[in-house]
Amino acid sequence: MKSGATKLPGAVIVGLVLAVVLDTIIQITWKVAVSGVPRDAPLAVAMVGVLSSPFFYAAMLAFGAQLWNWLRVLARADLSFAQPFTALSYITVLGLSSRWLHEHVSPAKGVGVSLILVGVFFISRTPFRTNHPDGGEPRGVDPMHP
Amino acid sequence: MTPELTGIFVLIAAVTVESFAQVFLKIGAAGGAGISWRSSRPAGGGTPGISARGWVLLGMAAYLVEIALYTAALHFLDLSVAFPLGSLCFVGVAILSKLFLGETVGRIRWLGVGCILAGTVFVAL
Repeated sequence: MKSGATKLPGAVIVGLVLAVVLDTIIQITWKVAVSGVPRDAPLAVAMVGVLSSPFFYAAMLAFGAQLWNWLRVLARADLSFAQPFTALSYITVLGLSSRWLHEHVSPAKGVGVSLILVGVFFISRTPFRTNHPDGGEPRGVDPMHP
Repeated sequence: MTPELTGIFVLIAAVTVESFAQVFLKIGAAGGAGISWRSSRPAGGGTPGISARGWVLLGMAAYLVEIALYTAALHFLDLSVAFPLGSLCFVGVAILSKLFLGETVGRIRWLGVGCILAGTVFVAL
């Protein structure tokens, strides 16, 4: 019979917070890179346009940092537990868009933010790691020396 | 096929690839153990033939494919459509985590995923 670990270690909390921050940076820089390309441009031209944008490379840099951080999180927590927390970046992106780009936050968006928060709360109430009967601590990949 | 429909197909492909990429990274982070089709526990002794580093590289390769697919999808679709569809990845990851990693995905976790999914639809409105 499986059981689950419930007390969330500090390293996992820090990793999840960092994941949300990096995911926010990725989404914003990626969006800026893609929005610089005309919508009616052919796909090949659009791809070249995206690849020539410095924001695309900023997104890739953040992506690398995210990969390093994410491996550390996944070494300690279930994938199905940790991954939904990244949905919090939808809220941070919405907040930043509202503050910096003066985008209107409609009541529907407010409902969406609330639902995401409720969903993450539910998931945070579940065990962060499935304890398998034959398993010990995972050996893991050291992201510093993969 | 309309551009919108093409975009939806490309986006669903991106979501599928991203879900598998996450599973590959998890297997790598766990030291190579974890593949177990419909099993309640991970396969003991890891996965023969592929090292932990190999799984991480496989996950990274899948992410590169996902980046190309998602960028292509954004070319065809409004963000208001791509955004909630992209969040289907939470569902894909939950299913694959249960199937391949033997993780416990109970009702409360599914409820959480459902709320997040509904939330992204509202955020995109």
